[in-house]
Amino acid sequence: MNSTTTVSAAPMLHAGETIRRADRRLGVVMLAPALVYIALLVAAPFLLALFLSLTNSSAGSLEFSFVGLQNFQNVIASPVFRRALRNTFVFTFVSQLAVMVLGNVLARALMRPFFGKTLARFLILMPWAAPISLATLGWLWIFDSTFSVINWLLKVAGWLGPGQWYYWLGDTTLGMVAIITIHVWRMLPFSTVILLAGLASIPNEVREASAIDGAGTLARIFQIEIPMMRPILTVAVLFGVVFTFTDMSVVYLLTRGGPYNSTHVLASLAFQDGVLGGDVGRGAAVAIFLVPVLVVLAIVMLRSSRRAEVV
Amino acid sequence: MQTRRQFVVRGTKLVAIGAAAAAAGPTILVRDARADGQLRILQWSHFVPAYDKWFDPWAKEWGAKRGVNVTVDHVGFADVVPRATAEVAAQSGHDVHMFLGLASAFEEHVIDLKDAVATLEKKYGKEVDLAHRSTYNPFTRKQFALSDMWVPDPGNYHKEVWSKIGMENGPSTYDDLVKAAPEIKKVAPQMQIPIGVGLSQDIDSNMAVRNILWCHGGSIQDKDGNVVLNSPETLRALEYTKKLYSVGMTQAVLSWNAASNNQAFNAQETAYILNSISAYRTAQDNKLPVLANYFFTPALKGPTGIQLASEHVMSGYVVWKFSKSQDLAKEFLVALVDASRDSMLASKLYNFPSFYGAAAEPNTPLNKKQESGAAWIAAQCNKDPFGSTPPDKLALLAKSLPWSTNLGYPGFANPAEGEIFDTYVLTDMFAKASTGALSPKDAMAEASTRAKQIFDKWRQKKMVPGGGKDK
Repeated sequence: MNSTTTVSAAPMLHAGETIRRADRRLGVVMLAPALVYIALLVAAPFLLALFLSLTNSSAGSLEFSFVGLQNFQNVIASPVFRRALRNTFVFTFVSQLAVMVLGNVLARALMRPFFGKTLARFLILMPWAAPISLATLGWLWIFDSTFSVINWLLKVAGWLGPGQWYYWLGDTTLGMVAIITIHVWRMLPFSTVILLAGLASIPNEVREASAIDGAGTLARIFQIEIPMMRPILTVAVLFGVVFTFTDMSVVYLLTRGGPYNSTHVLASLAFQDGVLGGDVGRGAAVAIFLVPVLVVLAIVMLRSSRRAEVV
Repeated sequence: MQTRRQFVVRGTKLVAIGAAAAAAGPTILVRDARADGQLRILQWSHFVPAYDKWFDPWAKEWGAKRGVNVTVDHVGFADVVPRATAEVAAQSGHDVHMFLGLASAFEEHVIDLKDAVATLEKKYGKEVDLAHRSTYNPFTRKQFALSDMWVPDPGNYHKEVWSKIGMENGPSTYDDLVKAAPEIKKVAPQMQIPIGVGLSQDIDSNMAVRNILWCHGGSIQDKDGNVVLNSPETLRALEYTKKLYSVGMTQAVLSWNAASNNQAFNAQETAYILNSISAYRTAQDNKLPVLANYFFTPALKGPTGIQLASEHVMSGYVVWKFSKSQDLAKEFLVALVDASRDSMLASKLYNFPSFYGAAAEPNTPLNKKQESGAAWIAAQCNKDPFGSTPPDKLALLAKSLPWSTNLGYPGFANPAEGEIFDTYVLTDMFAKASTGALSPKDAMAEASTRAKQIFDKWRQKKMVPGGGKDK
């Protein structure tokens, strides 16, 4: 019996190994497009940016020479850069906080049945589908320093007296408020949909049990629902942070970094210096400052997604 | 056999070209136009749309007569430089690329147009000096671009309002603006911004602050390319602007884009702006109420007696080295200058010929062509064929050449001046000083440091002179 077993086991092992090898080969083939894509469109441009940041490369030329860390020294010494760095964190933190709070409110509202819910969902998703360039042009009129619709409404409502006017895009603080407002408007639908999915995934039995145990609304939200939604919340926050941290479209379209280069974020400043100003080396150096934060975020994101898989 | 360093540098260039081409790929329509008999032109969308309606069929017709297929692509003025950057990186795209301001940063990648300019000078005499200073690099001795037209930048004033304060011909000095602003507030309290001089990160503001700087005796560089921004004259210009801002402007001017001053003037929300006649033509086309009070003044004089304004637009056509139709491109540019009269009329007197002689009466002797061309230009301005009331409303434009100058004054335009323009170093300085974000002295020091960094970088590339007498 023993010998029979041994004889019959050998071909089975061989077949298993063959399948495993074939699986491995298939795995490599399946992964190859993604790896090539990442190598060509992520790794190569990143390494190129790193390389260019050490050169005096300019937009009108493919010739350059090494300047060491001079671009970094110049950039760090620049008040415009330091302001942009601060703005990037403020922009990311404030807009994500607002998106998560408002997204939660909207998601909870959409969990309940009410008349016109389908239409409401469609309208909430609209900003996500609208091209940002078109949307920002609309917002440009809403926040225009001379013809602001908001100001006219406030004036009609008696909120603004004679001579009073909000210069939304001409004031450093109001400019950032306008930028953050548009970004929140733009990111809110995505966040709402993610949170809605998270809320829907919590079994009703859990809510019923908490109600029987006498948990109030706040206790249910903070002690049951939010902890249960943590994996999905983490993904939503991390995605939003990465997207916001690297975004330049709203700033570029709305204020172009003004007034006096005070509302730039790192991405828009890198574009202004590197592409519009033609100083590719300096632009690359500015952009490189995004990397450490993005690396940390990527690690956190990978860890949380692994945890989410376990859950 | 190549050294390791050569290998690394060459490899890097290949990666750079590949990555840039990959990145630019989706935005560039690269037609299969390498073969002879095709000419591809990238052109701005003109501020006076009627010009494009003339230019596109004219270019096609020019090509058809030679059996050449001409294609014209238009981009917004803000996309001219990014598009050029992408095409250089990809070493592919159009044959002819039109720049609005300074093409000098791309000098290395364009062919020398000396022969085309020489041909034109033989036909029409010299081009206007500001066009020459915007398209020729005396340091490298290269004619990197060819200009067919430039645009004057007069003051636009609201006649009724200025008449009410006893200045019916508008301001003539920068000091007038400061004196008038409080008076305008009294007679026209509904106007949000009595004096609408932009201090924003846009093209018009960039020109406006240069005008103020020059007329107070300051400049970014001297005639030899030394950085001289750090000067008592700059300080005086900043202190003046701070005063003007406090008496006559609001924070709105810090956020203006290229269209904002037009919109504010046409909505009668300001009594004075610096602009070409495009805003006026818009008011005409739309029969706006402001039209009857829409008038122009020459450049204002500063306390030094200097009266200067930057050109509003300076065309600079380049032909890329990668173009396979270089001779054809040169022929086209010569033909475009030949059509200067049509060009000026198609743009409703917005474009002024860079070669005045090209607007001369036919059969005029060469030595009289510039004079004849100037007379034709004056005739158009003195009796606007596009229906101004009074007909000589634009007459001052015919005399705008003496008070118009190039970016880079008192030197030549160069890549460093271009980068300072495109990264808003000067508007930033003026806005910070005016709003009190920095003291005028600190704002000047900050801008001067940045200007020197930019000049030094371009000097290392041997494209900009000077440095020995930087302040």
